[in-house]
Amino acid sequence: MTTPRAAPSGLAKLGLTLVRSPQFGLVVVLLLLGTTLTLAAGSHVDPQSGREVNNFLNRYTLIQMATDASAFAIMGVGATLVIIAGGIDLSVGAIYALSGVAMAMVLRALGPMDPVTTVLVGLSVCVAVSLLCGLANGLMVIGLGVHPFIITLGTMWILRGIAFVISRAESILVPTSLTAVAKAPLGLGTALYPVPLLAMLAVTAAGGIYLSRTVAGRHILAVGGNAEASRFSGLSVPRITLGVFVLSGLAAGAAAFLGAAFYGSATSSDANGYELYVVASAVVGGASLSGGKGSAISAMLGAVLIVMMRQAIRTLRLDQNYEWIIIGVAMIVAVVLDQRGTKLLAGRLSRVA
Amino acid sequence: MSTPRVRFRGITKRFMGIVALRDVSFDVAAGSCHAICGENGAGKSTLGRVLAGVHRADEGSIELDGVPIHFPSPRHALDAGVAMVHQELAFCENLTVADNLSLGALPRRFGFVDTAALHARAVELLSAIGASIDPTRTMASLSVAEQQVVQIAAAVGAGAKVIIFDEPTSSLGETEAENLYKLIGQLRARGVTQLFVSHRMPEIFALCDSITVLRDGQHVATQPTAGFSEAALVRQMIGRDLAPLAVAAPSARGRERLRVERLASPGRFEEISFSVHAGEIVGLAGLVGAGRSEIARAVFGLDPDATGSIAVEGKPVRIRHPRDAVRLGIGFVPEDRKKQGLVLGMRSRENATLPTLKSFSRGGWIDRRGESAAVGASFERVALRAGAESAVGALSGGNQQKVVIAKWLTAKSDLLILDEPTRGVDVGAKAELHAWIAKRAAEGAAILLISSELPELLGLATRILVLREGRLRGELTQGEATQDALLRLMAGLA
Repeated sequence: MTTPRAAPSGLAKLGLTLVRSPQFGLVVVLLLLGTTLTLAAGSHVDPQSGREVNNFLNRYTLIQMATDASAFAIMGVGATLVIIAGGIDLSVGAIYALSGVAMAMVLRALGPMDPVTTVLVGLSVCVAVSLLCGLANGLMVIGLGVHPFIITLGTMWILRGIAFVISRAESILVPTSLTAVAKAPLGLGTALYPVPLLAMLAVTAAGGIYLSRTVAGRHILAVGGNAEASRFSGLSVPRITLGVFVLSGLAAGAAAFLGAAFYGSATSSDANGYELYVVASAVVGGASLSGGKGSAISAMLGAVLIVMMRQAIRTLRLDQNYEWIIIGVAMIVAVVLDQRGTKLLAGRLSRVA
Repeated sequence: MSTPRVRFRGITKRFMGIVALRDVSFDVAAGSCHAICGENGAGKSTLGRVLAGVHRADEGSIELDGVPIHFPSPRHALDAGVAMVHQELAFCENLTVADNLSLGALPRRFGFVDTAALHARAVELLSAIGASIDPTRTMASLSVAEQQVVQIAAAVGAGAKVIIFDEPTSSLGETEAENLYKLIGQLRARGVTQLFVSHRMPEIFALCDSITVLRDGQHVATQPTAGFSEAALVRQMIGRDLAPLAVAAPSARGRERLRVERLASPGRFEEISFSVHAGEIVGLAGLVGAGRSEIARAVFGLDPDATGSIAVEGKPVRIRHPRDAVRLGIGFVPEDRKKQGLVLGMRSRENATLPTLKSFSRGGWIDRRGESAAVGASFERVALRAGAESAVGALSGGNQQKVVIAKWLTAKSDLLILDEPTRGVDVGAKAELHAWIAKRAAEGAAILLISSELPELLGLATRILVLREGRLRGELTQGEATQDALLRLMAGLA
């Protein structure tokens, strides 16, 4: 053995763990971007309090960003499970739309009810519809032996099509009792709605714990890492594959409930194109499209990063028309940096061995 | 002596720290057909790939006609006149034969592909080696034999003076192989030097002028074929000085743990019946392709076509999926540990509990302490030289195999199927694995041991079953088994 080193203090240990964690890079990028925006944003005088307020670093902007990110993040956690298992789910935006529309229609048909019942019925409809959608995706993927990209590309159109047909492309209002829940101030004061932020954190925590602490989560990582070795260890690969699609569907359903409740209505064109933001969140968060690698927290951070970049365009008063170009470039850069980092790490590991 | 066409000088090649070739030196005479023989994993394909520019040697040099060469890529090798006919054929399957033959140098007219010239060139190349394949067919529509012919045509057309064949007949039928032999004869008549990687005895003796034997990545001998016998060659390939191998003392034979009756799988094996008792190590010997691994897979529920009956601990059982086998207490250490044995992206601990994670959980929640404790105990028993939290992909071959074995220790499997458990493992770890196998049997486990290394079987197995062409051809007990007797049964020599 080498000479004994002084045992690191608790604080140093914690610091080391943080630096070595896979999320460290993303957090640094988020902090750098946040600091840059704070410094560059300038400030204005708040007419109510008369105090000077930073144009970026203020409660309203931050909560608004969290609200924008919540839909991507909640669906992103579900989609990350699919991606870790080696698949992909392109139908999450369509599941969102169909769940929201179905909920709004059921509640409209049932008429006025007391608030608690309304919320419970609405949630149940979202859960049931999204679960069925996820089940359909999973069953087709394992039963037909077609790549999930194709299956979920198909169901993406099918499910949105169903939402379009049953809603006749109308925008359907949802009862105000739902909005009261989604926009509950929770003591933060007017025009500050923390519920989407809290929901995002809760789903991320649940996803993270699921992956790291449960048997099912470990099995997802194993199947995505090496399906054959998993089968040789007695794991049921089809059942695990089915499971991730169901969870991804449920996450989209949860996001739909929150979204429809928050904005007060649902239409078949809701969450249009979100599937790509969701996949982007997952891969910016370091999930590998070849499976076996990814985390719920990273997916959430990926979603926050994407939203923060959109916010940057507004805060820095850049031409909004460049939004997609900037996001596209940033996504590629993020993934390339992440892969280079992984390669470096792998090289170091093999040299140690 | 004239200058050899190819001279290997001290070639060493490592993959991720594992030595595939160690200080290999020999000459290949111009115009000869030179066989490179060895067991699986002896390094013969690697040597071919180093020459063809697919891999770069870590040490040593290669001379072509006395001139030192360095091929950074197969393209450079081809330009210098060295081509390789690969095991896995490297073609654009959806393009035509003509396209593939000119790939990289498509004839052009006004910026477009000149189809007429393309076709003419293909016909010219194919007829040069006497082949009559329609150049407008796609590669995917050709048989493996035809695809090989196209590869050879491409090699000859590129002016190759050295062609390396990597197990060219492994996926050919008899007549197809005959045609290939004829083609090889023609090439030799033209003065093309050929390196012939194979472990099929008859073709080596029929085709080749000289033979180089590799074993564990090291050069054993290079000798003319004349005056050399098949049995002597097999011994050079497989045999080694009987290293002091821990010979397992035959432990008391306990109750029957596994009985297999009339197990069969179409095209793989048939009429397989045997039993393994507690305390026994039953060896399964046979040449590559005899059906050893196939039987192991069938017992473990990995062969949906298998028929026959299996009884575990005296009770008839149905094993349709590895899950059933795991539940019955069967453990399987597969042949290819990287593809089938481990999830390389996970930690050692996570791999070791993969089959049994449920037993370390309550209501789906992993009991981390229980898991770590069980894994720690297993790793201690196999003497893993790495932490439980190590990334398994970064471990040495020996430690990786210990993790696979720890998986079934953690599962408390008392019926173990070990398929080439010491392949690609260094000498020290090998001895440890041998000791562990003997110890498990002494503890009452029943072990089915598949190995291509005869000393390993002779040292460990209480009984050895010999397979040839998918059928059991004999059984030798520890007392009567010798290398010679085994080799004879394996090769079907009287």
